[in-house]
Amino acid sequence: MEFPDVLFPSYFGCGPPVEEGGPAPAAGWGEQGQVLEADPGRCQTETMFVPRRGGTGESWEPTEAAAVPCVPPNASCWIPSLVPQDILYHGFLHRKLRGGRSGAALDFAKQLGHFFVDHPEDAFGSLGRLLHRNFHLGNSKLRRQARDTTIRMTALMEEIDRLEARHGCPRQHLSPRLRWFSHLCRDWLFEVPLGLLADCLHEELLLQWAGLLFDDSLTGGALAWLPPEEVGAQTGRLVYPGGQAMNHLYFQDVVLEELPLAQGSPVQFELNGLIRQVAAARVDGEDFVGVRSDYHCGVWRVPARMGVAPTPLQVIHTSVPASCLTVSPHLPGELAVCTQSGSVYLWSVESGLQRLRHDPQTMFFRDHSPWRWSDFTAHPRVLSCADRTGLQCLDARAPERCHFDLFKVGEEANCQQGERVVLPMYLGRAHPSQHLVTTQFSMYVLDERLPLVPMLKWAHMMKAPPLFAHLTPGGPRRSHKVLLGSSHTQELLLLQYQGGSRSACQLAGPPQKLHPITSCLQHLPAQLPHQHHLLQQRLGAPAAGLAAAVKEEGLRESLMVFQLSEAGDIFCQRLTHETVQAPAPARTSGDETTAAPGSSPLFEAPASSPLGLGCEEEEEEEEQTFYLSNLEVIVNEEEDAGTPAPLEEPELPPQPCASPRPCAAVSSPAAALRYRRWMKGLSKMRRESPRRSWPLTLSQKRLFTRKELEVPAAPNPLHGQARQQLRQAMGEGGGIPSWEPPQPPPPVLPQLAEPSGGADPLSSRLTAAWCGDWGQWWEERSGFNRAQRQRALRERRRRQKRARGRRSLSASFTSSLTYQSELSELSDSGPPLPSPGPLIPRDSPQPRQRSPPPPASPEEAALLSSQSLRCRGIPKERRKTLRDYLAVWAEGPIELPDPPGSQASQLCIPSSQSQLSSASQPRRKRPRMGF
Amino acid sequence: MDTFLEEEEAAGKNSAAHTRSSTLLPGLHLPFLPPHLCQPASSQEHKLNFKKSKEVCLRYIQDAMLQKQWKRAAEFLSFYVESLEKDFSREYVNPSEIIWRVGTEILCHCSNGSMREFNSFIEQMKTFGVKRYLKVCLEHAFHLLCNGLIDDAYQNLSLAESWRYGEQTAIQDKEMKLIQAYRGLLDYYSWSKQKNILLEHGLDGFENLSVEQEMHSCFRKAAVNLKEIIKIPGVWDLFVKCYVDLLEFYGDYNEAHQVLSEYAYNSKFPANPNAHVYLYQFLKRHGESKKSLISVLKILHDLVPSHELMIDFNTMLQKSRKRKRCRLGLEVIFAVLDYAGWKENVKAWSCLARQVKQIAIAEKHLDWIKQEWNSRKDWWPAFHFTHYLAKRNWKESESLSYEKAVVAGILLGKDCKYFKYVSHQGCKAQVKRFRILKKFVNKHNPVYLRISDPSDSSLKP
Repeated sequence: MEFPDVLFPSYFGCGPPVEEGGPAPAAGWGEQGQVLEADPGRCQTETMFVPRRGGTGESWEPTEAAAVPCVPPNASCWIPSLVPQDILYHGFLHRKLRGGRSGAALDFAKQLGHFFVDHPEDAFGSLGRLLHRNFHLGNSKLRRQARDTTIRMTALMEEIDRLEARHGCPRQHLSPRLRWFSHLCRDWLFEVPLGLLADCLHEELLLQWAGLLFDDSLTGGALAWLPPEEVGAQTGRLVYPGGQAMNHLYFQDVVLEELPLAQGSPVQFELNGLIRQVAAARVDGEDFVGVRSDYHCGVWRVPARMGVAPTPLQVIHTSVPASCLTVSPHLPGELAVCTQSGSVYLWSVESGLQRLRHDPQTMFFRDHSPWRWSDFTAHPRVLSCADRTGLQCLDARAPERCHFDLFKVGEEANCQQGERVVLPMYLGRAHPSQHLVTTQFSMYVLDERLPLVPMLKWAHMMKAPPLFAHLTPGGPRRSHKVLLGSSHTQELLLLQYQGGSRSACQLAGPPQKLHPITSCLQHLPAQLPHQHHLLQQRLGAPAAGLAAAVKEEGLRESLMVFQLSEAGDIFCQRLTHETVQAPAPARTSGDETTAAPGSSPLFEAPASSPLGLGCEEEEEEEEQTFYLSNLEVIVNEEEDAGTPAPLEEPELPPQPCASPRPCAAVSSPAAALRYRRWMKGLSKMRRESPRRSWPLTLSQKRLFTRKELEVPAAPNPLHGQARQQLRQAMGEGGGIPSWEPPQPPPPVLPQLAEPSGGADPLSSRLTAAWCGDWGQWWEERSGFNRAQRQRALRERRRRQKRARGRRSLSASFTSSLTYQSELSELSDSGPPLPSPGPLIPRDSPQPRQRSPPPPASPEEAALLSSQSLRCRGIPKERRKTLRDYLAVWAEGPIELPDPPGSQASQLCIPSSQSQLSSASQPRRKRPRMGF
Repeated sequence: MDTFLEEEEAAGKNSAAHTRSSTLLPGLHLPFLPPHLCQPASSQEHKLNFKKSKEVCLRYIQDAMLQKQWKRAAEFLSFYVESLEKDFSREYVNPSEIIWRVGTEILCHCSNGSMREFNSFIEQMKTFGVKRYLKVCLEHAFHLLCNGLIDDAYQNLSLAESWRYGEQTAIQDKEMKLIQAYRGLLDYYSWSKQKNILLEHGLDGFENLSVEQEMHSCFRKAAVNLKEIIKIPGVWDLFVKCYVDLLEFYGDYNEAHQVLSEYAYNSKFPANPNAHVYLYQFLKRHGESKKSLISVLKILHDLVPSHELMIDFNTMLQKSRKRKRCRLGLEVIFAVLDYAGWKENVKAWSCLARQVKQIAIAEKHLDWIKQEWNSRKDWWPAFHFTHYLAKRNWKESESLSYEKAVVAGILLGKDCKYFKYVSHQGCKAQVKRFRILKKFVNKHNPVYLRISDPSDSSLKP
């Protein structure tokens, strides 16, 4: 525990930061900081100086061209996370937002509309039930006595349709009828008072938006590496979350070979919430793994010997989301827990929880963030507590009295305005009294023995705040390696520093960027465009954790860096360090042209043009020359792998940090094999759950169009004519010169043989149960034979399509568009719950036959079952009416009935042009609102 | 039509954004808009404009540098230099600063140490802006110093010192002070060089007169500048050491003492342990009384209980005859061993073992141990005396495990896992002192009972 004899000089001030904060793109380069006499003890003729930054570090060279998958793909879907387009007004980001000083406009009305459509029962349930007699859905004229008490909805629907058609027209006016309806209903139609609902929604939107800008729940990362017991051994464990909701905890044995290899299948635990953080520490030869989800924290004990299963020790439940969980490196079974209410607990498996502090306010100045963090220090009874404004150390034995400030955002550490603590970490394995603190601008190394004055400060220049950090301590006379990782941008930065005990802390060598997960996209086998896009989305998922392992083989050391994504995939990369280092030339790509000999490229001074003379034309010209010399590279600069929304140009190479000449390194055969295997796993997974490969869409265009309600007439001769014309055109390979608009084409009744076997589910189940093969029936229903059912469905769709094709070509076109979604929806609806009775009178309620599958009937029945109707928000009283409608046209193609609320709701929103637009196009997946 | 609409909408959004902007601020002031929020711009926005090209170019530079592709970065930088032509930006960091920083970094890594090239680059950079002139000079001097070009650095610093431009900002003021201080430091080094020459050749002789005169002038220059900077709150270990050395050489002890106590005890300065160490060493050098030494170390103990000087402190206190000091010694050594960094330090453990043994034999001040032990008994066993640690300590260092076993035996009794394991192994290995230790602990087991007994009223806590 030596303290450096001499520290680097620095000023020490008090109070709020003076330096203005702002984007400082290159702030971390080119500075030596300060200098200090090197080794003053040694007698020498010439004094030598060492810089605080800029010394030489170890060289760690990546062995692969990109990150390589390390475990098979997470075997379940990944729901793409919220994108700004979901909640922002037209997805528009305000320019001023770039500076982070201004806000964006939330598309509040759209979300409210979505709520009405998605949860009509909650929004209008009781009044809908009360009033359903007063709404008429049909197209027929109302009878005289009914006219006084009933509104014809069809007319209103038409108005809305018309409104949609005119969407975007500045001269559009609400029709009097709509206006009248919305004025009439606004106050009483809603189940929840509109103002209250709007408040809640707005609050939720704000939360979502804040989460989009910066989500601190992942702080710390959910990936941990448990190294092998002996130094030489090669098998360690990875601890990470997985599963569909990231609620499974895996302990996977991993062998460190050339590339880390998963060995055997992982030990698995299913938890009760999304895993936010996994923290681990080794005490007395045993690893303690802490797992944090929002309302639960748990601790596992993992013996270092391989092959011994981890044992869960204890779980605590918090009423407020926990924001931090760290494991003590000193005492077995001790952890530090923080909650968002501002409480800090010392949690001991033996003696339970001890609250050290409870303070909803931040420590040094006021900041809104409820985020708190706590970690251990060199003294096992002293904990560091952090919020966004700084760090304090508390003695757990007397937390009220004994505490001191370790770090303050202020002039003490020479911070910038607006700087906030993002992640503190105890660097005990490098030096017992060192701490790392990262902010969105800089990283600091602190020493407990000299609080408030950073031993080291460096502007990390990362695009997003570093939420993850990992320390790989170096031995004596070696540098300590610190990895910093960010979430959304997947950045990984390797820093080295040395000193702290005898000599003052120095940053060693330049920082180094490691491969993000997205980097492997170009090395994966070629994909079809839409699959490529999905892959891009998957690989671009925000990072969720970071870990590293060291492996030593003689003179050669390797550092394996693991990165976890929110989709649950783990990628790794290997860096090697040669102990004998040759002054190798800078690693450059093959096609690089070297600068002219003798002159550094820096001195190719630009042609001197008088400043300030720039009239418009001249500027144009200058820009031109600039582009010419700057290569034409800027086209896809904003193309971000993390932006899944627009499907416009999926083929664009997705490189978040695209450079005109990216390293053309080719992946090694071993890596290529890994890529292929991973892709195989992914596509297999996709095949198993087809709905995952396609964004879910739910058509909410209209409830019933007039066409659908009309009586189908006999096959139109026009159809035959059109068909003939089309065939002819196809035969000739030409186009159709003029298409007669198919006049309201009378739909054809598809002559589907409706086998009588398709009985209602309840009776079929009962029959099956009676016969004794109830289990088989259940399997059949619950989709174990999904493939078979899908085949049946496809068959049905094909027939329907054919039938529609006879009817109208355009209809067939639209149906093929919605095909996938409908199919998936039906196949996903699972076993429809038994309906109260036969809905549509059938002749003989026999058990459903397995083969050949009766096309469509059970699903239709399911559609009409009161359960599913209720799911769609149709009030009980109206279901009968609806069924009657549907029963008439049961054999005909049925559009999924949509909730009636959708229309009414849209009328009731104080509307601008944009709100109704959502209906006109297939909606994106709904953001995960709190409802 | 569409564009018209967009414009109208944009106008509408403006007002909307203004009204709500306060509530929609990000929770953290981010340096950039999170990249995942940047959407692919529409075709219109894609029109290349100068600013964007600049940004992209800078990104390529950063990218190349972070992958250590210095040559590639240099090429891009040569394009980026064009951005100076239209540098009307009012941004926080303007292109010339970026070029300076990036260029310096690249040259440090890829010019193969050619100083000439580096110097000419920096000279160009100095002409770029007055705001940064001093900073660039200072960094340049640092670079020269680290490359052993001390004379060049000195020239540079003197040149920078004479620079005047209008009114100085606070930051420039600080930089100027630093420049002066570093020049003073270099003066000090040349002073000490000449001092060594004089000391080697004796103090007489005609030619030595000029050396002596030069030495004194160096002293004056150094002293003025160094004295100036150490008045300002900060960490000035290097400067203080040099200044005190100067003063001591010329026999100005009072001034030196004052400087050191000011550096250690002024509350405006950070709580730098080194300041106390310097004061302690100074007092020790000049044979000050034990009392004053102890008071300096007592303050250091309060500030940094884990400081390495605490071992010396403990030995000093143990030797003392005063009860109070012995008591403090026990406190100090217990506090040292609380820290993870001292966990395996034989010296610290032997200090504690010696003192505890003394007390156990005398059975006189058991309440001291009891008091210290009370706040530690719930976690020291798991922290220091586990079976795992016994095994490891025994394997790694026999003497450490011996010292620890002494303490464990007295504090936790003969049934303590640590003591049992180590004494067993020691007896097995036929080491004499372990056998004696076993006997000792068995004999003094009542001590343990009294320490651990909460109801023992004879030991008032």
